Amino acid sequence: MSLMSLGIVRGFVWQIAGTIIGIVFAVAMRLMMGMSPWATEPVWVVAILFGSMGFLIGVGSMTDWFKWMVGIDTPMRHGPPKGKPAWTRYFGVDYNHKVIGIQYTITAIFMLAVGGAFAIIFRTELARSGLQFLNPGQYNTFIGMHGWAAIFAIFIGIGGMANYLVPLMIGAEDMAFPRLNAFAFWINIPAIVWLLASLYHGWDAGWTLYPLLSTRGEPGFQFVFLSVFLLGFSSILGSLNLIATMLMMRPKGMSLFRMPIFCWGVMGASIIQLTATQFIAQSFLMLSFERTLGMPFFNPDGGGSPLLFQHLFWFYSHPAVYVWVLPGLGVISEILPVFARKPLFGYRWIALSSIAIALVGFLVWGHHMFTSGYANSLRAPFMLATLLVAVPTGVKFFSWLGTLWGGKLTFPTPMLFALGAISVFLLGGLSGPPLALVGSDLFLHDSYFVIGHFHATIFGGFVFPFLAALYFWYPKVTGRMYNETLGKLHFWIMTPAFWMMSVGQMSVGVMGMRRRIADYDPMLGGMTSSGLSAVEIGQTVVTISAFLIAFSILLMIYNLLNSAEVGALAGNNPWRSRSPEWQIPSPAPEHSYATPIRVVGEPYDYGLPGSTYVTMATAGDD
Amino acid sequence: MRQSSTDKRHFITVSVLVLIGTAVMFWLLDSALPMPIQASIQAQTVDQVFQWTLIAIAFLFSLVVVFMLYTVIVFRRRRGDTGEGEHFEGNTALEIIWTVVPLLLVVLFGYIGVTTLTDITKAQENEVVVQVEGFQWSWLFTYPTDSGEFTSTELVLPVDQPARMEMSSRDVNHSFWIVEMRVKQDVLPGQTTVLRFTPTIEGDYKLRCAELCGLSHWNMLASVRIVSPEEYDAWLAQQSSQAAAITTASN
Repeated sequence: MSLMSLGIVRGFVWQIAGTIIGIVFAVAMRLMMGMSPWATEPVWVVAILFGSMGFLIGVGSMTDWFKWMVGIDTPMRHGPPKGKPAWTRYFGVDYNHKVIGIQYTITAIFMLAVGGAFAIIFRTELARSGLQFLNPGQYNTFIGMHGWAAIFAIFIGIGGMANYLVPLMIGAEDMAFPRLNAFAFWINIPAIVWLLASLYHGWDAGWTLYPLLSTRGEPGFQFVFLSVFLLGFSSILGSLNLIATMLMMRPKGMSLFRMPIFCWGVMGASIIQLTATQFIAQSFLMLSFERTLGMPFFNPDGGGSPLLFQHLFWFYSHPAVYVWVLPGLGVISEILPVFARKPLFGYRWIALSSIAIALVGFLVWGHHMFTSGYANSLRAPFMLATLLVAVPTGVKFFSWLGTLWGGKLTFPTPMLFALGAISVFLLGGLSGPPLALVGSDLFLHDSYFVIGHFHATIFGGFVFPFLAALYFWYPKVTGRMYNETLGKLHFWIMTPAFWMMSVGQMSVGVMGMRRRIADYDPMLGGMTSSGLSAVEIGQTVVTISAFLIAFSILLMIYNLLNSAEVGALAGNNPWRSRSPEWQIPSPAPEHSYATPIRVVGEPYDYGLPGSTYVTMATAGDD
Repeated sequence: MRQSSTDKRHFITVSVLVLIGTAVMFWLLDSALPMPIQASIQAQTVDQVFQWTLIAIAFLFSLVVVFMLYTVIVFRRRRGDTGEGEHFEGNTALEIIWTVVPLLLVVLFGYIGVTTLTDITKAQENEVVVQVEGFQWSWLFTYPTDSGEFTSTELVLPVDQPARMEMSSRDVNHSFWIVEMRVKQDVLPGQTTVLRFTPTIEGDYKLRCAELCGLSHWNMLASVRIVSPEEYDAWLAQQSSQAAAITTASN
């Protein structure tokens, strides 16, 4: 088997070829226009566009569509590619949603490791005041890289959970548009390549990329703009596919209120992704145009406005936070009933609260801009809208407590992570009001308090639930059980460490530690009675916690890899769940359901004698 | 025989634990979040708002966590038990209560938020006006006086008199923040933004840029001196006569 038979290798070769063609094309154009042949930035912009197209063609994600153009039949492919080892299907275009789900998930874990690695590097630098081993330029690039690598991990991780689980949960054969599904995944790969390549030139405006800082300085910015544009494209196509799948492909008897609750979280997230991603794509394109084509959208010297960018950026990027957390909160709602052996408390309230959060999320972007310099009269309405988010979020918390109350709880690793997620998300949510109230926000904005707040929100809303999901559905994916002892060890290292990290960040923030500074004043929080700098103690605690979290994640990766070989066989339904995906063999077979399923009851009627959720249709039905 | 989950004793125990939890949590938060000294009137308002949110945080946090830990201990599966939990699917009255009560809290905090916002941003009489210019990576302050204007690289303000910063940037976005004064305002190119505060304690402070503005953002500082009115007048007089002397000399 040659290496070139792997789709991803072909993709990379084509990406390099496309990039070279792009460079040649741009240089030729410049020469024809009588300009000097080389200018790093414009040439690279063209090269990035050509290279990305090259990857998507080379990997084979568009091959079927090309065939359609000339009328060649393209029957659905099933199973591993003929004449090649089974594992090769994960490294090339495959239309099975379970394969794509795993591709997304592995990519997400990789990006999580990349994002975490950047954090570890600059956290080590911050453990003491003074510049140790990074210079300010490297530091500024790394914080932005940490941000975007982590955001890539989150979006791709959500893609993984949604792609793998949604069709299984609603008993569908596959996603509504399998080829589009594969295409949407593969766009992420060139996006990741360009994001990592941005390191070469560097860029120093943080992940929010506010102009006018991002419209001057290093060419690395262009790599980030276009990389994020590609990621956004993937988001839009993926969410379109998920909405279509959930609306059109449910089995007989599954009303929307009888979908597994995770689907509601995905629905809320997908509505946002489908309708709002355009705004960030637009804002980043405008940045790119301003730099490359000299269109001064944001530069006041040319009649632009720096605030315009912030409005466009946050109009998407605030709702995006709900894209990150809604599927995760769905995972929590999915796991609690199984291990409490009780119905999900207030299913409809939880389902609708996801949609309510998604909708209110569109009205609150201005709370990121309380200090930005927009009209003072805008502050109060944005403050009130922001506080409103607490109401549907509160419904979720209280309904979870109602689910646990009176149950017969067991605590395997997924349940521990679900409970950990609740506690961490609570910390994130409750540290919101001081930032929502303008008075205290004028103090806390751009301080480490904000860092603590949103890391808790995102860890509670995405990372912990994602880890819970990895452990929970691992038996379904691999057919084997993970190592429970190592799983619990992971939880008991990571959760207290995260708590220390988040509270530590808030603590140094209140002392006056600003965001995004390479070095800080050791006298900020004063000295303790033992003559140590208070802010340095805080920073050291945060750094040690970060190392503990990183170690625990490595432990998990080892556990998941190792258990795929040596884990005990899981059987169809090790958790005694009622959800359809647990009624089929593990690992889930190529065609998930041998016969169509039919929904005959409520999804979470644990403890109701004689009730069933789904039945497998038998011959003679319909 | 275990108690039914609707037994009153559960709720009495949990209520007591939530109250204890609130007190403990408030104490923990208060010690984990050490406020810098309060050196302006606005700082007092801001800290008051922060304290109120801390009380709400402590209560809501312990409400959820105590309930959760209680279920973890009391409603855990006993060894050898293979049965299911109690079967109830929800309670509309409860859902309405925990929608409406938080809504009332939102209204209360909305009220606090809006009134305090008005309070700390309102214009006052007798304001000392300083033009602030931010640029990569430093600050410049311009003082208008009767005999023209002069510039300074340190910000000097009289104690107990409202100050108004009229700010703009020469290049990229910056942000004006003196931790001890609490309040903060971005400084933008092509636009003037305003920040008001009334210093209450004489002393030396640091103005720090709070919006990432490039390579030396971390080091974009200026000294701030809050002085007595007499000292301020003397400083003004001395600076303007120096500026006048320079103007005369250059003429």
